[in-house]
Amino acid sequence: MSGALIAFEIVLLLPLFMATWRTSLLGLSLQGALMAWIAFRHGFHLSFAAVLAVCDLVVVRTLVAPMVLHRVLVQQNAPKRNDVIAPNLLSWTFALALVLVAFRLAAALEPAEGDAQMLIAVAVSGLLLGLLVLSTSSGPFSQIIGALRIENAIALLELGSEAHPQSLGIRVGQLAVLAASVGFFRWYLLHDGDVGAPKPEAAEEAPRSVSL
Amino acid sequence: MNPVYLSLAPALLAPGVGAKAARSVAPTALAAIAFLQAAVAVFVAFTTSGDHHLLGGYLTTDATSRLFLALVNLIFLGIAGYVWQRARTAPELANDVSRFARLSLLFMAAANYVVLSNHLIGSWIALEVTTLAAAPLIVRADHPASRRASFRYFLFSSVGLAIALLGFVCLARSLELEGRAPTFFLDQLSHLPHASNPWRRVGISLVFLGYGTKLGLAPMNSWLPDTYDEAPPSVTALLAAVQFNCALVSLIRVLQIYRADSRDLVATELLVGGLASMAVSTASIIATRNYKRLIAYASINHAGVIAIGLGIGRTAAYGVLLYVVSNAFIKAILFLTAGKIHAHYGTKDTREIGGLVKDLPYSGLFLMVGTFALLGFPPFGSFLGELIILSGLVRGQQVVVFVLFCTLIAMTFVATGRAIFPMIWGEPKRRVSWPKQTLVAALPKLVFLAALVVMGVYMPAPVNDLFRAVAATLGAQ
Repeated sequence: MSGALIAFEIVLLLPLFMATWRTSLLGLSLQGALMAWIAFRHGFHLSFAAVLAVCDLVVVRTLVAPMVLHRVLVQQNAPKRNDVIAPNLLSWTFALALVLVAFRLAAALEPAEGDAQMLIAVAVSGLLLGLLVLSTSSGPFSQIIGALRIENAIALLELGSEAHPQSLGIRVGQLAVLAASVGFFRWYLLHDGDVGAPKPEAAEEAPRSVSL
Repeated sequence: MNPVYLSLAPALLAPGVGAKAARSVAPTALAAIAFLQAAVAVFVAFTTSGDHHLLGGYLTTDATSRLFLALVNLIFLGIAGYVWQRARTAPELANDVSRFARLSLLFMAAANYVVLSNHLIGSWIALEVTTLAAAPLIVRADHPASRRASFRYFLFSSVGLAIALLGFVCLARSLELEGRAPTFFLDQLSHLPHASNPWRRVGISLVFLGYGTKLGLAPMNSWLPDTYDEAPPSVTALLAAVQFNCALVSLIRVLQIYRADSRDLVATELLVGGLASMAVSTASIIATRNYKRLIAYASINHAGVIAIGLGIGRTAAYGVLLYVVSNAFIKAILFLTAGKIHAHYGTKDTREIGGLVKDLPYSGLFLMVGTFALLGFPPFGSFLGELIILSGLVRGQQVVVFVLFCTLIAMTFVATGRAIFPMIWGEPKRRVSWPKQTLVAALPKLVFLAALVVMGVYMPAPVNDLFRAVAATLGAQ
C-alpha cells in the first residue's frame, strides 16, 4: 500500500506547482484511481457494497467529476494556466510545511509506524492542502478543486478504517450527495463563465425586482 | 402507520406540486401540505412519550426530535402562508412559486429527517440534501450576485459538512481504538462508555467546526450575510429559521452523546467560537446600512450566544433552548418583514426608509416588535433565555466571558437601534402607493409573535415539559 500512498502524495503536490487546470483535473482523477487501487488491495468481494464503492471511487471520483468539469472548461475555452495557490516561493514552502505537519500529526494519532500511519499522514495532508487551495484562491474553479480535494482526503481516511457497518441506504445517500455536488459545481461553472477569477461584486444594489 | 412517517411525505409530493400542470394550484397546495405537516408535527410532539425507534432504528422520537420537529414545521407553515399571500398579490411570481414549492418540500422532508434521525451519518446526508435543495432557491433570475451567493453558500456548506464527516470518521476510529465496532447510531453511542483518546478529541472538534460553519459561527461565517441578503425573503427565512435549527440539532446530538462522560468537552471551543461570532457580528452591525444584512449579522450574533450557552451547558441548558426556539420565530418574522419592506420601497438602505409605522403599519409593527425581541427585551422568550444563559455564566464563574458578553450585547443594542429605530419612527422619506395590508397577510407573523410572548410570560405545561426533557439531555440540573 505504501507505493500507492506515496503516489497519492505526489498527485496531491504536483498540481500545486504545475499550474494548469488540466493538471488539477488529472490530479483529482488520479486520486480517485489510487483510492480504488488501495480499496482493491484491501480485499474485494463481489457485493452490492463493493459495487457502490466502485461507483464512488472509479465512476464518480476518477471519471465523472474530472470529465464533467473538463468539458465545461473546454466549452468555455478557458485559458491554459490556472494557479490553485499563489505561484510564489512562500506559498510553495507553506504547502510543503503543511505536508510535514500532516506527517507529525499522523505520528501523534497513530504511534505505530506502518501503512496505517502513512495513510493517515497522506489523508491529513490532502485535507490541509485542500483547505490551503480553498483559502488562498478566489476563482470558482480553484475553489471547486479545493472542495473536491477535501472530499477525496476524507474518502482516503475512510478507506483506512475497518469496514463500518453502514447500511446500503447510507452508502447510496453519500454517493448521491457527492454526485449532486459535482452537478451543482458544473451548473455554476457553466452559468458564471469566468473560470479563473471571481467577478467583481456589484457595487450597487441590483435593480428592483419582485421576489418571493 | 406511525404518523411520524408523514413528516417525510413532502419528498414524494414535491414533484407533483412543482409540476407545470399544477402551477396554478401550487401556492394553495404548498400551504395545505405545510398545514398538515405542522399538525402532524404538533400531534407527534405532544402525544408521543418516550423514545421510540422507527425505520429500522434510523429514526427516533425522543424529546429533542419532537421539540424541533414541531418548531421547524410551524416555521415552515408561516413561510408557506407568506408565499401563498405573495402569489396572490404578485401573479407574475407563478414560476418562482412553483419552483419554490417543489424544492422547499424536498428541503422540508430532508429537514424533518435531520431532526428525527437516530444516525449521525443519516442526519449528515439529510443536512446535505437540505443544502442541495436550498442552493438553487437562492438564485434569482437576472441577479448574478444571487448566483455567486448561492455558490458561496454551497461551497462553504459542502466544506463545513465535509469537515463534520471527517469528525465522524475520527469518532469511529476512536471506537476502534477502544476495541469496539464502530457505530453511528445515537442510542448505541449514548450507552457506550467513552474513554478519552486523541481521535475522539479531534473528532468532536472537527464536528464542532463543521456544524459551526453551517450555523455561521466565526471564523467560517463569511457566506452567511451574502446568502441571507441575496436570497428571496422566503428562502432566507427557510435558511435562518429551519436549516439553522437542523444544523443545531446535529451539533446537539453529538454533545448529548459525549458530554455525559466529559462535561468540559469542547466547552472552550464553544465559548471562544461564540464570543468571536458575537464580536464579528457586532462590528458588522455597526458598519452596515443594509437592514437585511443587519438581520443576517444579528443571526451570527445569536449563533454566538447559543454556542456560549451550549459551552456552559448544565444551568444554561434550558435557557439555550428557550433562546433557540425564540430566535427561530424572531428570524422568521424579521426576514419576512424585510422582504415586504424591500418589495415596497425597492431599497435595503436603512437611511432611505422612514416612518414605517405610518406607511406600512403591520410591517412597521413587526419590525419594531421583532427588533425588541432580537435585542432580548421582555416580555419575549429571548429575554428569558438570555437571562438564564447570563446567570449560567455567573454560576459557572466565567466572569471574563460574562463581561465580554454584556459589552458586546450592549454595543449590538445601540448599533441596531441606531439603524432600525429611525426606519420605524423617523420622518417618512418617500411615500409609495401600496394596496392596504390585510390581517390575513399578517397572520403567520402574528402567530409567531404570540408564540414569542407566550414563551416569555407563561409557558404551557406540555411545552415546558418538552423543554425540560431536552434540557436534561444537555446536562440541565
